[in-house]
Amino acid sequence: MTRPAAKEIKAIADIAGVAVSNEVAERIANSIGPAFEGFAAVAGTLPFDLEPATFILVQQAARTTHKKAAP
Amino acid sequence: MNTEPTLMSLTSVAKAIAEKRVSSREAAQSCLDRIARWQPRLNAFMTIEAEEVLAAADAADGALAKGNRRGAQHGVPLAHKDMYYEAGKVVTCGSKIRRDFVATKTSTALQRLKDAGTIRLGSLQMAEFAYGPTGHNAHYGPVHNPWAVDRITGGSSSGSGSAVAARLTFAAMGSDTGGSIRMPAHFCGVTGLKTTYGRISRAGAMPLSQSLDTVGPLARTVEDCALLLGLMAGADAQDPTAVAGPVPDYMAAAREPIKGLTIGVPSAFYVDDLDPEVARILDETVAALKREGADIVQVELPDQRQLTASCQLVLAVEAAAFHKRWLIERPQDYGPQVLMRLQNGLAIPGVIYLEAMRWRGSALAAHLAAVAGVDAVIAPVAPVAAPTIAETDVGNSPDAESVIQRLTRFTRPINYLGLPSLSIPAGFTRGGLPVGMQLIGRSFDEAMLLRIGAAFQRVTDFHERAPKSA
Repeated sequence: MTRPAAKEIKAIADIAGVAVSNEVAERIANSIGPAFEGFAAVAGTLPFDLEPATFILVQQAARTTHKKAAP
Repeated sequence: MNTEPTLMSLTSVAKAIAEKRVSSREAAQSCLDRIARWQPRLNAFMTIEAEEVLAAADAADGALAKGNRRGAQHGVPLAHKDMYYEAGKVVTCGSKIRRDFVATKTSTALQRLKDAGTIRLGSLQMAEFAYGPTGHNAHYGPVHNPWAVDRITGGSSSGSGSAVAARLTFAAMGSDTGGSIRMPAHFCGVTGLKTTYGRISRAGAMPLSQSLDTVGPLARTVEDCALLLGLMAGADAQDPTAVAGPVPDYMAAAREPIKGLTIGVPSAFYVDDLDPEVARILDETVAALKREGADIVQVELPDQRQLTASCQLVLAVEAAAFHKRWLIERPQDYGPQVLMRLQNGLAIPGVIYLEAMRWRGSALAAHLAAVAGVDAVIAPVAPVAAPTIAETDVGNSPDAESVIQRLTRFTRPINYLGLPSLSIPAGFTRGGLPVGMQLIGRSFDEAMLLRIGAAFQRVTDFHERAPKSA
């Protein structure tokens, strides 16, 4: 995964319905670049069956576990 | 009476009112007198409703005289971050766009505090749409830190941190999406609780990121946070993410000793690149907890930079989606930095956003496995004490994102994982600025954090120190 360039950002923003200038696209590219780089090791590696609701399942399992452990 | 009522803790003033040692009017007038002295220098309040709060206080005193006590917080005046809807009241969300927005419903968390008997003192300043970690606000001006008025409060619950620290309100609700309760608590020297995602209903609270937003209190003491959490927590038909089941007795938890508990200190990330004073205070806090009987161990956490990045991706997209209509119709009505940050979300593809959401459960499971042997983790809230307002006034300059990242790097991973975290005043720099530490717990285990935090406050006085009026 690579950080998007200003030219790509301008196109994506246009498609989203919020046009931005070249200058703003450049600024966005600088701002979000580190997030893309930080997430690069995860992107494209997730198992097929993993879905967002897993978070709630893990959270609830943790709740049950520490409730049982409480005196 | 020798003491200003406003110098009392929330728990103490509620008890004093119930026992008729202090009237609700005296409590409200004490807050108003202090606000009059501090507000010109702090800019902590959005609105001060003097006549209304005194009328409500008189009504509360009258009811109490007739034996009608509404609840545990009968007659206690409070002000909250100006993003909690209250029917019939203007709720600005710190913005120009909502300068005249009148709420038609009352937020669940606020209603529960009202049901307990609290009365409205006014509303508190905040970052525009809760999207800023410093306390700057392009429309209403920066909120100032009462310990040094040229310093930031942290944000986005800037007014909450400043007003609680200066003893202008007994406590305040904040919200925490990327650190917005813990940073003001840290920079202003108060206690702040970021709750587990799902612990308190978000219904009627201005949204920023539906996957990350949490409601929580800022107060003078851990005991006060425990009290408020107990009042606000629990299921709500208006917010399906608010979990069902009994609410623990948090006040009882806060009275438990910590002997035999195990507290983890991260081996990396949270201890890297710390200001030497913050590092010293971390060491001193750990030593104090050890003296109270806690076992201290080192923990190796998964890569926190990935969590920070994931938080940023999710937050940026969800915030941009909430604001899209105004981004099209009223971009000129946002402050430059908030506009820039909202525009960031436009550039993140849907697939990347969903990958960040899909990974969340695995990341939480990995974190919980890493901390399986400890009851809580302790870490700094931020690597530095409060910087100056001038040096963080970066607007939408190329430096803006790096300033934001530096301030929020220890808080954002916790939001992505949806975990609870309690920020407690832990010491002062040699220059007199407060420093907080965060206790990070397992999902829904706020009770453990309150237990540890209260034990720390029983043997320290950092939370009792108040900034002096000039």
